[in-house]
Order: sequence, then C-alpha cells, then structure tokens
Amino acid sequence: MPAIAGPSSSPQKHVVGSRSESIGGVRSAEVNTSRKRKLRSDSAAEVSATVVLPVNSISTPMKWKSPRRCAVSIPKTSDEEIKEDSNEKLENPVISVCLEVKSKWNPKDDEQMKAVKEALHVSKAPSTVVCREDEQRRVFEFVKGCMEQKKAGSLYICGCPGTGKSLSMEKVRLQAEEWAKQAGLHCPETVSVNCTSLTKSTDIFSKILGNYESGKKANGSFSPLQQLQRLFSQKQQQSRSKMMLIIADEMDYLITRDRGVLHELFMLTTLPFSRCILIGVANAIDLADRFLPKLKSLNCKPLVVTFRAYSKDQILRILQERLVALPFVAFQSNALEICARKVSAASGDMRKALCVCRSALEILEIEVRGSIDQEPKGPVPECQVVKMDHMIAALSKTFKSPIVDTIQSLPQHQQIIVCSAAKAFRGSKKDRTIAELNKLYLEICKSSMITPAGITEFSNMCTVLNDQGILKLSHARDDKLKRVSLRVDEADITFALKEIRFFRNCLL
Amino acid sequence: MGKETPAEKSLNLIRGRLCDPSYVFRPLSASSDSNYSKLKFIVSTSITEGCNNSMLLLGPRGSGKAAVLDLVVGDLLEQFPDSVSVIRLNGLLHSDDNCAFKEIAKQLCMEHHLLFSKMASFDDNSQFIIAMLRACGLAHKTIIFVLDEFDMFAQGKQRLLYSLLDAMQSVTSQAVVVGISSRLDADQLLEKRVRSRFSHRKFLFLPPSREELDGLFVHLLSLPADSGFPSGYVSRFNDKIKNLTSDTRFKDILKTLFNANSTVNSFLKFIFCAVSLMNLESGLLSLENFKAALSSMQRQPKLEAVRDCSVLELYLLVCMRRLEVKEQSSYNFISVMKEYKAIHDSFHTSDYYAQNVCLRAFEHLRERQVICYAENRGQSQTGEYRLQKLLISASELHQGMRSHACCPAILLKLLDH
Repeated sequence: MPAIAGPSSSPQKHVVGSRSESIGGVRSAEVNTSRKRKLRSDSAAEVSATVVLPVNSISTPMKWKSPRRCAVSIPKTSDEEIKEDSNEKLENPVISVCLEVKSKWNPKDDEQMKAVKEALHVSKAPSTVVCREDEQRRVFEFVKGCMEQKKAGSLYICGCPGTGKSLSMEKVRLQAEEWAKQAGLHCPETVSVNCTSLTKSTDIFSKILGNYESGKKANGSFSPLQQLQRLFSQKQQQSRSKMMLIIADEMDYLITRDRGVLHELFMLTTLPFSRCILIGVANAIDLADRFLPKLKSLNCKPLVVTFRAYSKDQILRILQERLVALPFVAFQSNALEICARKVSAASGDMRKALCVCRSALEILEIEVRGSIDQEPKGPVPECQVVKMDHMIAALSKTFKSPIVDTIQSLPQHQQIIVCSAAKAFRGSKKDRTIAELNKLYLEICKSSMITPAGITEFSNMCTVLNDQGILKLSHARDDKLKRVSLRVDEADITFALKEIRFFRNCLL
Repeated sequence: MGKETPAEKSLNLIRGRLCDPSYVFRPLSASSDSNYSKLKFIVSTSITEGCNNSMLLLGPRGSGKAAVLDLVVGDLLEQFPDSVSVIRLNGLLHSDDNCAFKEIAKQLCMEHHLLFSKMASFDDNSQFIIAMLRACGLAHKTIIFVLDEFDMFAQGKQRLLYSLLDAMQSVTSQAVVVGISSRLDADQLLEKRVRSRFSHRKFLFLPPSREELDGLFVHLLSLPADSGFPSGYVSRFNDKIKNLTSDTRFKDILKTLFNANSTVNSFLKFIFCAVSLMNLESGLLSLENFKAALSSMQRQPKLEAVRDCSVLELYLLVCMRRLEVKEQSSYNFISVMKEYKAIHDSFHTSDYYAQNVCLRAFEHLRERQVICYAENRGQSQTGEYRLQKLLISASELHQGMRSHACCPAILLKLLDH
C-alpha cells in the first residue's frame, strides 16, 4: 500500500517513523505492518460502529494535502498523515478507522477513550513483558534446572517498587507450567504468598503445608515448620515427586528480630529430600547478605537477580508497546518521551509513568468534553491527541509538592509565623518554645505596624500549621512550653513568599 | 407559644442553612475547575469505565474536604443508584489494621445484607474483603473507600493501605480509594511500596478568594422572596445585607478575621455567631452584631483579666513593666514596691497603699495568672523575695488599660514614657 509504505520510508515525517528513530529501523516496519493489519482486521467492526463517518468524510477532502507537502514539524504530521492515509483510500472501509482516529476525542466516542485508558491502566498486564526478558530468562533457567534435576533451590529477586518483579514472576510461573507439560514432567504446584497478608510470620509455613498436604489434616502435636522439615527429611515415594514452586512476595515482612522465620524458610531448600523451589521477592538489595549470613556458611546462598529501575528508553518502549495495540494514535511521541525522561530521572517506577499518562489523558478529556456537568470552555481544537503541554501539566501535577501553593495562600498572620520560624531556625538551633517564637513574631509585626494576634490566637495558629505539616509541635503541659520546629525547607518558604516584598525583606 | 415572628423564622432558616454543608459548598463548587467538578469527573469516569483510581484530598482543617466529597458521593449515588457502595474509615478510630479490616467487613456486610460475625479473625476478614471485591468487580459495582485522617493510617506497617492499594492493582476489583488529610506531605509518609501503588492525584483545597466569600455571604443570608415571609420584611432584610457588604467597616472586620484564619468553617462560625446576636425586635442584622461576633471569636483572656483588675493592681503591673523596660529582667515584690514608691514620690499620686495591701494585690494577680513565679526553685523563700515575671505582653497591657473602666490617665503616661 503506497500510502503507508511511503511514510515509513521517510522517518522524519510520520509519527510511527519517529518511533523508529528510538527503536530501530526494523521495528518501525513491524509496527507499521502490525498497525496496518490491525486497521484491516478492525475495520469491519469499526464500520458498524462509526455513525459519524459521513460527516467527516465530507470535511476531509478540503484539508487534504499531498504527501510531499508534509515535511513539516512533527506535531502536525500525525494528523496530516492520517488524513492523507484516509484520503488515499476513499473507497476502502479502512478509512472509517482512520477517520475515527480524528473523531476519537469527540464526546460521542466513549469506547475509544475507554480503550486507551484501559491500555494504560496499571492493573492490565500486557501480554508480553518487554524489557525484562533477560531477568525472566535467568529465573526461568534456574527453575528449569531445578525441575530437570529434581533438586531444590532458592532464588532472591530484588528491585525498587514498580520494576516489574511480580509481573515477571507470574510469567515465569506460566512458562514453567507450559514447559513442564511439554517436557512431560509433572506440573509444579505453586504457592504464591504475599507476606503482608500474614498475621504472624510463621503462618507462611502453614500455608505451604496446606498446599502440600492437601487432604491430610495438620498433625496437632507438631508445628507446621516441624512437619515440613520432617517431610523433607524423609524419602518420598516416586508418585509424590511433584516440585513445589513457592513465591514469597514482599518477603521483608517476614523479618523478625531473630531472623528465625526467614532462615528456616531458606533452610527448607537445603534439606536432603526437599522439593521446593523458593523465590523470594523484596526491595532490599542486600537482604540475603544482611539477614541470612548463616546460609553463606552452609554454602546455600540464594541466587540473586536484581531488577534495576527502568531507564528512559525502557519506559518509552513499554509505553509504546502498550499503545501499539490500539488502532489509533493517542499520544504524540515527544509527549511520551518527556514522560519517560522525567519518570526515569525521578525513580524509574513504571506505575508512575502509567499514572502520569493517564493523568494527561484526563486533562485532554476535560479540555475536549468539558467536565461532567459543564460544556467545554472555549473552542474545541481540531487535532486532538495528547500533546506536550498536556503531558507537562500532568507531570507538574504529579511531581509538584503542594507546600508552595499552600504557603502562598495562608492568611497573613500565619505567613508571618512561618516567616519568623524560618528566621528562627536558620542557625544551629533546631527547635524553640512557642514563647520564643512569639517574641520573634511580635518583633516582625511591630516592624510592619501590623497588630499582632494575642498569645491564645498565636498558639491556635501554630496548631493549625502543625496539622498541615509545616511546623512540628511537641507535647507539653503548658501551652507556652511546647517546642516548635520547622518541617519545611527554608528554601521553599523563601520561594513561596518571594512575591511579597515585606517577607522578602524579612527573610534577608 | 403562638406563631413565630418573621425575625425568628428568618433566624431559624439562616441557622439551618449554615449548618448544612451541602448548601454552603454548592455555590463554592459551581465553577468548572473547582475541586468538586474535578473530583466528580474522576470518580464518575472510574465508575463508568470500571478502572481503579486513588486520590488524596489535602487542605487545612475546615476547608470543606469532607463536605465536597460528600456532595460528590451524594450526586453519584443518585446518578448510579445500584453501582456504587461507600465504605468509610477514620484514621483516628481504625488505625489499627485488625480494627480496620473488621470495620470494612462489617460495612460490606451491612451494605449487602449479609450477617457479620464478631468472632471472625483477621484472616477471615481479609479473605472476605478480597472475595467481596472480586464479586463486586464482576457485578460492575464500584466500592468507594473513604479514608478520613489518612495520615493516621500511615503509621506502623501500613498494612491496610498496602492491601487496599494492592487490591486495586488487580483487574478483578473495581474500587476507588479517596484519602482525606490535613497534612500536606501525607503521601511522603507512605512507605515506598505503598507510595508506588498510589496514583499521585492530589486535590489541594485552598481557601476561597474574597469575591467568592462575598458571594457566599450574600447567598447564605439572603432570604427567599416566597416561603411565607412578609414581602416588605424580605426586601428590607436583603437590602440591609447588601449595604453591609459595601460598608468599609464591615470589610475591615472581615479582613481582621481572614488575617488570622481564612478557612470556610471559621467564616461560617463567625456568621453563625453574628446571626445569633440578631436583634429580634427589628429583625435585621446590623454591623454591631458582626463586631460582637468578631470579638467573641478572637478572645484574648489575658486582656479581659487586665480589664478586671483593680487600680492598685494596675499600678503594680505598670511598675513591673517599667522595671522590664529598664533592663531589669528579674525582679521580685520588694523591687516592685521600690518602683511604686518612686512613682508616688515623683508624681504624687493619690493611690498609695501599705505594703500588706499591695502584697494581697500581688497574690490576686498571681491567681489570675497575669504574673507568675519566674522559676520553680526558690520554694523555701517567702513570696515577697521570689522572682516574678509578667505573663502578658506590653501591648496586651496597654490595650487592657485603655479599655479599663477607670484607669487613671497617669498610668498610661507612665507606661508610655
């Protein structure tokens, strides 16, 4: 198809082409073709859904531009390309989809908005886990090895929150089951425990036991741990030689003062006839070293797989992967890029990136539809994808702290108190009593001819500021003896109050 | 009793309005970029699209966070009668995880007319909750969790928050978690795991602008034209209100009020106080009502103590102040008496009393907590030799003396010199 093939050969122009710059030329072709395929396959469904088709097909010919003229900046190209795609194939029912791309953000189209939001929701696990192939492969090889040799083993997975650990574990589990079926082995039993749900840390043993000994009642005289130990120390019959895969999520909840539970759990894998493959997931990188020193001496330290925080390219790739399944272009590529850049610089947490994208979607939605009761303000713009300014607004909403806004909107006396606190705690002294702060407050009020508030009102205002998290008040019997310290950075206060000349002079 | 006079009726009507948060906050939330519309938009899209969301409402106490949330929830319950259920938790009551899970299970049982057993253990409760979330997700029913005093839930192991937010990460459940907190850094208090699962939507409730507050004032106090009031009375009342809002003295009163506390709740308290002081014979509000309301809201107990002092006690206070001004920061009764004698000698005042009378006046002042012992150590010494200090500031003393019924002019001069 010349129209689609054309754009792909000129990477600067097409939005999909621009993606190719970051991924690699080969990929763009794939993406193009997959998009094309989606267009074709979905066209039948979309045709029935498009009621708005006639209106748009009339409007487009006037805006048609030849492909040669499309060498303009990227923000425009997405729509232009889409328009020229549609116009090349006026007869093809694929058009309906392309035209739907333009009319996507109309209030009538709830379905498409819902589809995009769903594609970006944290709870929706993508079908393929990208950017974690390496780690997944390592874990899978380990599990495979254990299953082949019918030996027990332990593995520890660590990484920051939002780096895809639990997700990868699910995939590995499915992979292991599939492979077991193919290789003709018994499918491993899986016990997946989230350790936050345990009331006592020793409950994990009863959970493992419950799975293993399903059908048999727990023996009253022995604790679950002892039963498991007995089980694993005796030779099993051949028929019961099923491997057990134990996935313990948020394992640091099992850390007790004597580290007994954690030790015992890992030691289960060292017993002679043990059949369990233990995979522990937590955030701390050195959990194995710090809390399980004994294992090293026994030479059964668990294998450690680190899930590093996502880099900018990885985040961008994952976002694009999620969006590529949709038949339309919802985000400008530079909007996605700035999101990936900011989130990877901050924490590398994928959940945050998804959250920011959804927030940007909502900003666009409000702009186009107006919020739930009102009509949209101002004229509704033509090309409606999530652009840079939406993404920037979403990023600032997510990353900005509300402190500066709040300080700027405090009533005057409370601002004076905050200012006097900033002055008071400049030096080495980090906390003072309310009475001392009151003295400073009175000085500032006197210097500016403002009637100061009385001491009761003053301590009330200090309590209000304490509630908001700006000051910190300690408890004391007498109101005046309570100790005050500042919770907010002085730089934030200076920044917030810099507009007001009086405070600027004060804080000099 | 007889019929109510129009004044009484209007008083009841206005007081009823002031105590109804939805009446108060609806006009404040009318604009399209207010927190109300944004909140409603997000929660309703979560309900219709079946996706999970979490958000945090932040703002000082009394700025209407819970009221606006109640407005939104009320509207949504009307709009989607069968697909919304609300679970309310309070951080002050349910910060313990066991307690919180029990409460959630109990409320879920009550919503869905199931039997709740008090004997259920923590495990049972959490499994029940997970099962209910799944069932509601299948039935496309959204559960809205309202967590009041959110920062109290962030103490300890944060298990409740983790379980709730983790449940929202799975596809099977359909829930919205709304946290309300007055601490601006509430999300920094969360553990990193919990914070990662929390979608960082924050709604900041800032105090309303002056125009909004003026509009609110007129809205709350204008009587409706119909509804059984004599029409002449209604027009007189509303005119009086309009005149008040354009009066500069009234604007000054409002400015003094807002310089200390600019939240909506304190404004409502102020209006309530003023309205309750309404003169029932004329049936109209006047400026004096508002002045009296302001002074009752911004009470200064020490000032009132000074105002009630006798003249001799005032003399003693002035002497102490003069000693302080002379850089003599520690003084006892004897030095105060010296100063008193010095004043008497130089100005020949008529009020000169003997030492034991003065001592009694001193004791009175200490009982009223206008002065106190400077340290707690010298218990063995008699009251005359122990160091004293003033508990009121110079400006309070000044103000108190000026509003004193019969303060001699010479005292003010002595204080100022």
